Amino acid sequence: MKIAVCVKQVPDTWAEKKLKDGSGILDRESVEGVMNELDEYAVEEALKITEADGGGEVVVVSMGPERAGEAVRKALSMGADSGIHLVDDGLVGSDSVATSYALAKVLDGRGFDLIIFGSESTDARMSVVPAMVAERLGLAQLTFANKVEVSGGNVTIDRVTDNGLETITAATPAIVSVVEKINEPRYPSFKGIMAAKKKPVETLSAGDAGLDASQVGIAAAWSLVDSFAARPPKAAGVIVQDEGNGGVAIADFLSAQKLI
Amino acid sequence: MESEMAMRLIVGLALTIGILAFAGRRLLFLVKLARSGKPVTGRLSDPTARVQAETVEVLGQRKLLKWTIPGIAHVFAFWGFLVLGATILEVYGALFNPEFAIPVVGRWSLLGFAEDLFGLLVLVGIAIFAILRLTNKPEVKGRYSRFFGSHTTGAWLILFMIFNVVWTLFLYRAAQYNVSLYTGNDNFPFMNGGAFVTEWVASWLYPLGETANEWLEHIGIWLQIAVVLLFLLIVLHSKHLHIGAAPINVFTSRRPNALGPLLPIMYDGKPLNFEDPPDDALFGKGHIAEFTWKGYVDFMSCTECGRCQSQCPAWNTEKPLSPKLMIMNLRDTMFAQSEYLLAAKGKHPGLGEFDEAALASLSPEVRAEVERPFIGSREGSDHAAEDGYTPDGHRSSHADLPIIDEEALWNCTMCGACVNQCPVDIEHIDHFIDMRRNQVLIATDFPAELNGLFKNLENKGNPWGMNASDRNAWISEVDFEVSVFGANGEETIPDEVDYLFWVGCAGAFEDRAKRTTKNVAELLNIAGVNFMVLGDGETCTGDPARRAGNEFLFQMQAAQNVEVLNEIKAKKIVVTCPHCLNSLKREYPQLGGNYEVVHHSELLADLVKAGRLTPVNKIEQTVTYHDPCYLGRHNKIYSPPRELVAASAENAVEMERSGDKSFCCGAGGARMWMEEKIGSRINQNRGDEAIATGAKRIAVACPFCSVMLNDAVTSRQQEPGRAIGVEVVDISTLLLSASKS
Repeated sequence: MKIAVCVKQVPDTWAEKKLKDGSGILDRESVEGVMNELDEYAVEEALKITEADGGGEVVVVSMGPERAGEAVRKALSMGADSGIHLVDDGLVGSDSVATSYALAKVLDGRGFDLIIFGSESTDARMSVVPAMVAERLGLAQLTFANKVEVSGGNVTIDRVTDNGLETITAATPAIVSVVEKINEPRYPSFKGIMAAKKKPVETLSAGDAGLDASQVGIAAAWSLVDSFAARPPKAAGVIVQDEGNGGVAIADFLSAQKLI
Repeated sequence: MESEMAMRLIVGLALTIGILAFAGRRLLFLVKLARSGKPVTGRLSDPTARVQAETVEVLGQRKLLKWTIPGIAHVFAFWGFLVLGATILEVYGALFNPEFAIPVVGRWSLLGFAEDLFGLLVLVGIAIFAILRLTNKPEVKGRYSRFFGSHTTGAWLILFMIFNVVWTLFLYRAAQYNVSLYTGNDNFPFMNGGAFVTEWVASWLYPLGETANEWLEHIGIWLQIAVVLLFLLIVLHSKHLHIGAAPINVFTSRRPNALGPLLPIMYDGKPLNFEDPPDDALFGKGHIAEFTWKGYVDFMSCTECGRCQSQCPAWNTEKPLSPKLMIMNLRDTMFAQSEYLLAAKGKHPGLGEFDEAALASLSPEVRAEVERPFIGSREGSDHAAEDGYTPDGHRSSHADLPIIDEEALWNCTMCGACVNQCPVDIEHIDHFIDMRRNQVLIATDFPAELNGLFKNLENKGNPWGMNASDRNAWISEVDFEVSVFGANGEETIPDEVDYLFWVGCAGAFEDRAKRTTKNVAELLNIAGVNFMVLGDGETCTGDPARRAGNEFLFQMQAAQNVEVLNEIKAKKIVVTCPHCLNSLKREYPQLGGNYEVVHHSELLADLVKAGRLTPVNKIEQTVTYHDPCYLGRHNKIYSPPRELVAASAENAVEMERSGDKSFCCGAGGARMWMEEKIGSRINQNRGDEAIATGAKRIAVACPFCSVMLNDAVTSRQQEPGRAIGVEVVDISTLLLSASKS
């Protein structure tokens, strides 16, 4: 089984982020870049499937600037076999539509049985790229999986929805996106980290991937940042000294907020 | 007479040669086995310190005397063993020459007196040992007997053999004395007096007549020789091997002790370079064949005395780990796989690979044992709560399960109580950390909670995953100026700054520790000490990563910190966290970082002594002080915190387990970030002990102790009807409140 895992490098999810002076663009220099946390679950799931299968290949695919290569290495140190890194100045500012176009171009024709995504990136939080890539490649999409089973040319997932779980089956090749409940991503062993340094990573430019330059980058973006502002500082909370009236005070507060 | 002497010689020599042949074979095997271990360097450096250790710990029996009664009993047995060496010389001399006496001193009454005295004291010693064993039976006291899991039958056999050595000695001496009396010869060397026990026994044998005494002398000599040689044989085949192994182990042990810093992973005599590790480098110990010869001598030295076990926080809270059982298990594994170890001769490649030629030479049973998984889950095995051991030292093998229980391995808080106690200087923690290293760096099989810890350290430089920019948050909560490095464009620490205040992650992010940080800053401010903080230039020292076995991560953290500290020319550093203290002061020299590091208790105690801080308003509540392991045992700082308590409070009481016997709070060894799923809670055990002193303030000197003991006290306060009014406070809090009128 040949599996692709798409990973994204994102600014550290829990860090305080700043905007570049006078622009709506994130100041990436000021925050540590990490592999999108949900993508770690995707990598783990791919590794588990090939391990259970007793063989196969896991290829990590990432689109992003030079330093997104770190995310690819991280996935390789977890145990993936090789990487593809799509990096090009022309891709800067691509939105999800453009990203899905670029990724689909890279993934197409490489013979993957399964393409796994994290269900969302922790920076943009759109959750649409897996579906868009599926649409572009004409493959079945099985999104928000908290359980994946592969057998006899079929993939079956438990899909998490607001109303409960749906069980969905599709023939491979197919696209799966996973949620964080699915597994516990492994911590790369030192052996893995050392081995990752020697694993092959194919670096592609937009031209190498056969991308139409007019469909990617900020100019081609379908979405626009209309306005932006720094998040206002947190307002001071209300402190109630409990002098026997604590319960009443809390109830008053909640009803004033129309919460009860 | 002639023929009797000839017979005496022939029987005596035949016995000796026969038994020595077996003993020699065993000894050769043991030496070869020890030498088959992986190499380790630096174990003979600083010979002065080693001779001193040998004098103090072996001849002076200092560590044994930490426990008075068993210690004295052992002193009797040990010194008896040395002095009675003279009698063995005499008995062999008497085989060849009935008039034999040791040259020069051989006929001095003093020697005769010493021999008899120590013969008697050995008897007193083994009587004490017998009473200790009878009152401490593991069958009765269960795991709270220090002998739980020790081989008690073997121990009784040893005591019986020692008894035999002594009575046969007195039998032959008394008979020889009587023969000298009858015949007027000088065969007994101490006819001028001194041998008072011999004379007393002789008075009972005298009425039997000359011939009987002659024969008793011969028989006594044969018995004595036979017993001594048998004893030697038993020693070489039992845990009593410590007689020979322990002096070697003490001589080659880490000096001054195996506490404080952990050793780096070594390759070819040098610390391993993680940037570009050689292909055949080992990252910890994942098989018995990966241990060093020092490890093997450690295992051979264990006498199963259980002093370590009696102090262990894990064992005392019903967890599987006992340092004694772990070492016994490693020893038994070493012997079970000795065929492989001897065949591989240290060439076991490790990392899951075996020396194939050596493996092929083994019988199927031994081969299966060698290929058995080393560390892993033993869930469902017999006696799992006692690491597989029964009270009398039998371990259920479960050949299908791994040898080392991972649960026991991760139970360790690295508090150092075992290392501190061990009379033969076994380096428990070093072995545990090596096995943890294998689990993290190679096997990636470790408690899931550590995932979060490692990620936080990697991405955020602190265990809590807080943002570095918040490291200075406490400064806005104090009403005096705090200088932050770099705020005025400094490139190195200015000369007028007395101390770099290393705040630490807890000190910056954890509420209780933050209070300590603010208190210490205020006290330094009052005392006019000029200090500076690094702010967001600080990252974790790497202590939790290192003690969780992630040496790679530790090396990265430490290298980064050493680079920063060297660049800004840090010289004097004050810390509030004993773990930071241990890393900065004791471990960073391994990476080229040499600083003068003090704990806030030391600095504040000095300031009080110098009159720069004056407690004017001692608190009335009684205080008890809890020694943090990494301040006390690991770094031997016991009195400065007590001086601060005495300066700040009217009354102080000690817990029973204090000083170097202090009981861990449960947070060391990266246990702060792991769940405690088995047994009772370590912090509760300690908290209850502190509460039982009646003290209303539990003084601590470590941010982790503070959290753990506070949890323990809070859980008791919340029990119905137990508003006990006890508070856990840092020593700086006591001093600050006492310094304000």
